[in-house]
Amino acid sequence: MDQMSETDPTDEALLIAFSNGDASAGRDLINRLGPRLLGYAARVLGDKAEAEDAVQETMVKLWKVANDWRQGEAKVSTWAYRVLINHCTDRLRRRKIRGAVDLDSIAEPEADLKSAVEQMTEKDRADALQNALTELPERQRQAVVLRHLEGLSNPEIAEVMDIGVEAVESLTARGKRALKAALNGRKDELGYAHG
Amino acid sequence: MNSDMRMDDRDKDDALLDALFASGKSQSVEASSAFLSKLEMDMEAAIPKPKTAATKHTPPSMMEKLKGIFAATGLSSAAALGVWMGFVMPDLVTNISPISEEVTSLSAFLPGSDLSVFEE
Repeated sequence: MDQMSETDPTDEALLIAFSNGDASAGRDLINRLGPRLLGYAARVLGDKAEAEDAVQETMVKLWKVANDWRQGEAKVSTWAYRVLINHCTDRLRRRKIRGAVDLDSIAEPEADLKSAVEQMTEKDRADALQNALTELPERQRQAVVLRHLEGLSNPEIAEVMDIGVEAVESLTARGKRALKAALNGRKDELGYAHG
Repeated sequence: MNSDMRMDDRDKDDALLDALFASGKSQSVEASSAFLSKLEMDMEAAIPKPKTAATKHTPPSMMEKLKGIFAATGLSSAAALGVWMGFVMPDLVTNISPISEEVTSLSAFLPGSDLSVFEE
């Protein structure tokens, strides 16, 4: 789950250092976890502003538990994903009650070195995926995003979602089938018909 | 033949989905510096205060507590004894001491200490 060199301190070491008053450790943890959590929340919620709020709430909770953190019991990132999932679920439920889904509110990513046309196609594909993801049942969406976009392993997802590994496999398989069905009619549009 | 075609379609669908996931990863929402600054402000507000010598307070050990108790009781006992002796001792001294009736000089016990030999 964590992409870092062997000499880098673990998330847990940073959290302990933070609890001892080390602000730079807290900053490192923000830079490590913040973007990943935001990516997940934006995909699940389909709204960047709401995703930022959910991540902010999660990080505030993390600072609060830092002093009482039990070393070796759970990975910090797993704990953070779990809390974030709960925040996202709450927000989706509230949104269902309000009956409002704003799919156009995801901010555009910054331009990179790819050509404009290629970028356009990439963006179209990513948007199509995001729209299809939004149509999935909540648990399937969570599992698919964690597995195929965030790159977590099935045991890690099981821990985050508090379910068994087999249940994770089932959720991701059903999610992928539903995604294929949703995207099947758009192959030409997305430039995959002749590939 | 038909099953081969179905397998082909399934492979293509898997490939399509994998490509979409790759696009999704490359188009991930980026954390703005304003957002990261907001997280930092929360973190700085929550940072635990470092423990300094001035604010450090350790509870006293059992021995220290006992010492304190003994000191307090010893002092008050001594004070009470002093007051009691102040009231009681004059009578006690006259009752138990025959000195007032039969004076004994120090030389009776210590002959060498008779100071009259130095007198002229």
